[in-house]
Amino acid sequence: MAVVGAGPAGLAAATVLADHGARVLVVDEQHRPGGQIYRQPPATFTARGAPAGTAIPAGRRLLAAAAEAPLRWWPGTVAWGVFGAGAGLDDFAAAPTAPGAAAPAAPGAATPGVPGAAPPAVPGDATPGVPDAGGAVPRVHGAGPDGRAVDPAEPLAPRRLRLATHGPAGTRLVHPRLLLLTAGAYDLPVPFPGWTLPGVLTAGGVQVFVKAQRLVPGRRFVLAGAHPLVLVVAAQLLAAGAEVAEVALAVRRPALAAALRALPAAAGNAGKLAEGARALAALRRARVPVRFGTMVTAALPGADGTLGAVRLVELAADGTPVPGTGREVEADVLALGYGFVPSTELARQAGCATRYDPAGGGWVIEHDRWQRASLPGVYVAGEITGVAGAEQAAAEGRLAGLGALTELGLLAPAAADRLARPVRRELRRRGRLAGLLAGTFVAPDATLAAVRTDDTVLCRCEEVTVGTVRSALRDHPHLRTANAVKLVTRAGMGMCQGRSCQPALCALVAAETGQDVAAVGSYTARPPVKPIPLAALSDPD
Amino acid sequence: MDRYDVAVVGGGLLGCATAHHLARAGSSVVLLEKDQLNRHASGQNAGSLHFQLEYRMVADGTDAAARAARALPLHLDAQRAWAGLAAELAEPVGVAQHGGLMLAETPDELDRLGRKAALERRYGLDVTVRTGAELRALAPYLSDTVLGAAYAPAEGKANPRLVTLAYARSATRAGATIHTGTRLVGLTHAAGGWRLTLDDGRVLAATAVVIAAGVWTAEVAAMADIRLPVIPVALSMTVTAPAPPLLPHLIQHVGRRLSMKQSGDGNVLIGGGWPAKFRTRAGHIDLDAAPDLRYESLAGNADAARVVPAVLRLPVLRCWSGATTLTPDQLPVLGEIPRRPGLFAATGGSAFTLGPTYARLLAETMLSGAPSLPIGEYSPARFGFLNFV
Ligand SMILES: Cc1cc2nc3c(=O)[nH]c(=O)nc-3n(C[C@H](O)[C@H](O)[C@H](O)COP(=O)(O)OP(=O)(O)OC[C@H]3O[C@@H](n4cnc5c(N)ncnc54)[C@H](O)[C@@H]3O)c2cc1C
Ligand SMILES: Cc1cc2nc3c(=O)[nH]c(=O)nc-3n(C[C@H](O)[C@H](O)[C@H](O)COP(=O)(O)OP(=O)(O)OC[C@H]3O[C@@H](n4cnc5c(N)ncnc54)[C@H](O)[C@@H]3O)c2cc1C
Repeated sequence: MAVVGAGPAGLAAATVLADHGARVLVVDEQHRPGGQIYRQPPATFTARGAPAGTAIPAGRRLLAAAAEAPLRWWPGTVAWGVFGAGAGLDDFAAAPTAPGAAAPAAPGAATPGVPGAAPPAVPGDATPGVPDAGGAVPRVHGAGPDGRAVDPAEPLAPRRLRLATHGPAGTRLVHPRLLLLTAGAYDLPVPFPGWTLPGVLTAGGVQVFVKAQRLVPGRRFVLAGAHPLVLVVAAQLLAAGAEVAEVALAVRRPALAAALRALPAAAGNAGKLAEGARALAALRRARVPVRFGTMVTAALPGADGTLGAVRLVELAADGTPVPGTGREVEADVLALGYGFVPSTELARQAGCATRYDPAGGGWVIEHDRWQRASLPGVYVAGEITGVAGAEQAAAEGRLAGLGALTELGLLAPAAADRLARPVRRELRRRGRLAGLLAGTFVAPDATLAAVRTDDTVLCRCEEVTVGTVRSALRDHPHLRTANAVKLVTRAGMGMCQGRSCQPALCALVAAETGQDVAAVGSYTARPPVKPIPLAALSDPD
Repeated sequence: MDRYDVAVVGGGLLGCATAHHLARAGSSVVLLEKDQLNRHASGQNAGSLHFQLEYRMVADGTDAAARAARALPLHLDAQRAWAGLAAELAEPVGVAQHGGLMLAETPDELDRLGRKAALERRYGLDVTVRTGAELRALAPYLSDTVLGAAYAPAEGKANPRLVTLAYARSATRAGATIHTGTRLVGLTHAAGGWRLTLDDGRVLAATAVVIAAGVWTAEVAAMADIRLPVIPVALSMTVTAPAPPLLPHLIQHVGRRLSMKQSGDGNVLIGGGWPAKFRTRAGHIDLDAAPDLRYESLAGNADAARVVPAVLRLPVLRCWSGATTLTPDQLPVLGEIPRRPGLFAATGGSAFTLGPTYARLLAETMLSGAPSLPIGEYSPARFGFLNFV
């Protein structure tokens, strides 16, 4: 089995799989395992600081278990595409991979004659060996051109999947029997006037500096947004010796208090909120102003053209700005945390069906109760199925591992069921907490949208403004989808491949055309899901 | 029931351009598009303006090349059409005609280039074979492996992001009605014209109908009980991140599938006919699903791009697939369908490069019966033998 991503989901799955005798390859573009939350500094860093991520016991356990397990590990390697067998004559070769094999092979080398392979099960079939298959598998509807709902097309029908990777060893094609995608999430980008100034960063990005590089990327910080991560990062910065001028959360205090009171409902699984609460206490102790119901409306340049100050405003109960409450706070770094967007590109490129789930961060990958996606042979776990935190990601990873083990014939269905029972219980508990969090930490979308002017940059790679998109929609009244607007305006065509403008662009198109944001669809995901040099495309080993 | 002079089925380049010409001539026109305008081949293609015969036309020997060459009068017309298009549509559409080179890397290929250029010159195309220092001076960016190139100064590129929408805007200004998200599902001949049934249940009437439905052409023709041998072909494309100007020309290859150019935005677009794979549903090609990319095509296409070494280090941002149509004799299907008065079709071949020409000639045929260039050779009548009623 090939696993993309070595975060909590990928590590948990890989460990379960390897413990039961599967041959597992783990691919991650980072140089060390851990994913976002358990991100480790490079091995060459010997400084004894607070290694923020791995201080978390659950993370330590995961990393230790994964280190013990006999995994094949390709660090610094990006998985850039999933392809069917589809190479002409290759189509007609018998499905040739040995169980659990994750052997890299040259393209076109059909590795024929390797015994023992059965084609992956098709969801919807009553698959022997996979408990609760059949009826349990949702008949999912994919998004057609531009996100219109279409009938479930026949699956890609690759008898065998191929995963294309690029790393220190060049381009490699992997022929796994099964594939698990756990690409995680990235910070929700929120455009507003001044957001492209040097010095305006995402809270996650700042955390990466602190965690992976042991760097404090600035002098005087303002942190703002609508996600508890903002509190956590502020506390981490403080611990690393930075000056934190202010933390501003759009969430209003009463909403937060209600969530805290409801904590017991989450049955002792309050790690996430507790982490936020601990961070809040640390900030209070250090007398850092932490203001609720407060939002950033602009980032202002200083004399040198980089960030000089941040404009903040108070929000009324209905989320609208209170007139006369605007003020400016001096800062050289503004770190923003509005939540996360699932990194669904690779799964969507592979052809997995999606669903629009606002609470889960937008478009998420559909799956059944063993984490199988709509595409045969592909499992998904972690944030790409909906943003719900590291512990939930690890639990989903374990479930995916157990499901895959039965499909690989390495675990009896009854045993998988038994091992899955406590994991499912945990997931049910977490579901309640996630609901609570999602209800509390919501970005004030309408107010954020109202702050944007025609001059506000929407797509920073191609420098497409809100005004450009508006006028394209006026000039071409027939355009209604993300893909169509992308094609005329170039928004989403740059180096970030649309990651940083898609959510705001879709919201804008929805608002301007009077549609539901789900009807606007998303940019079609295509390989390579991360840029690779043209030479690498033509040069597999 | 709404009545129109003409109903155009398809909102790609051919449909929008035909609607533009007809509406400007005073016809009442309705255009039906099942998805979004410019959402299929016309917005997905490489944007090459190639007036030389393409690789696929010269790959199968002299006879096939001679047959394909019968479309060259259209190429010559298109050369002029593109030069005047921005003025005609009153907005920029990214046309740049800085010349195109079709490369040869072996003596054999060089021979083929020479024969090809001679054939093309007989039709009046300005094309010459350049080699040695002359070629290096013209195109210093080419790799040493290139032995020679056929140079056609009028070749170049246009921007597929803009062209079709510009035609649509012009058609709208001239009074055409455009319905998107509207699929034609039924087409019957009635007294004095055609009845069109839409997927939302509405029925329209039109005196004439233009099938400009790209890979769905045969499907739409079948609604009128007509078989047309229009073959869907799935292709892939690759685009790099923007780079400083490094490639002023359109590049093709006489011995390999390759088309390459640097767009006005700086991105290098690489294609040239590398296949993608149609999805199937219940055993049939599913034209409504984006074709699957083949790894081998992406790798092969990138390899072919080695003739311009500078592009190899550029990051690839995206590969995509699209589908277009070919016909068995590589000539377009353009004109009125026999035994179906008032039913017209336009498709086949390089209908981006030739799209403005197909559309104008078709509109002229419909309006006056006398196109400015004879199009009898391309008439669907040559496939009349496939149809018995
Ligand atoms: C920036 C950021 C900061 C966060 N900070 C906190 C925090 O402080 N506290 C907290 O409780 N939660 C935090 N979270 C949430 C937490 O990290 C996630 O809940 C958890 O990491 C999800 O686990 P996962 O396995 O789904 O994904 P991840 O942990 O994100 O792991 C995904 C892995 O996949 C790799 N990957 C993705 N795509 C590819 C590809 N195409 N090829 C190769 N590798 C690929 C990535 O490099 C990454 O290592 C943060 C999330 C983000 C995005
Ligand atoms: C990858 C690729 C690269 C290419 N490169 C080049 C190139 O460099 N140079 C060149 O000259 N040509 C190129 N081509 C070919 C060129 O793109 C096409 O020939 C041209 O765009 C065809 O235009 P069209 O309007 O006929 O088709 P399309 O743009 O496909 O438009 C047809 C429209 O009809 C609509 N439709 C179909 N059925 C119905 C229905 N029942 N009801 C309503 N609407 C319907 C469809 O939704 C579609 O939008 C390329 C094609 C591809 C796929």
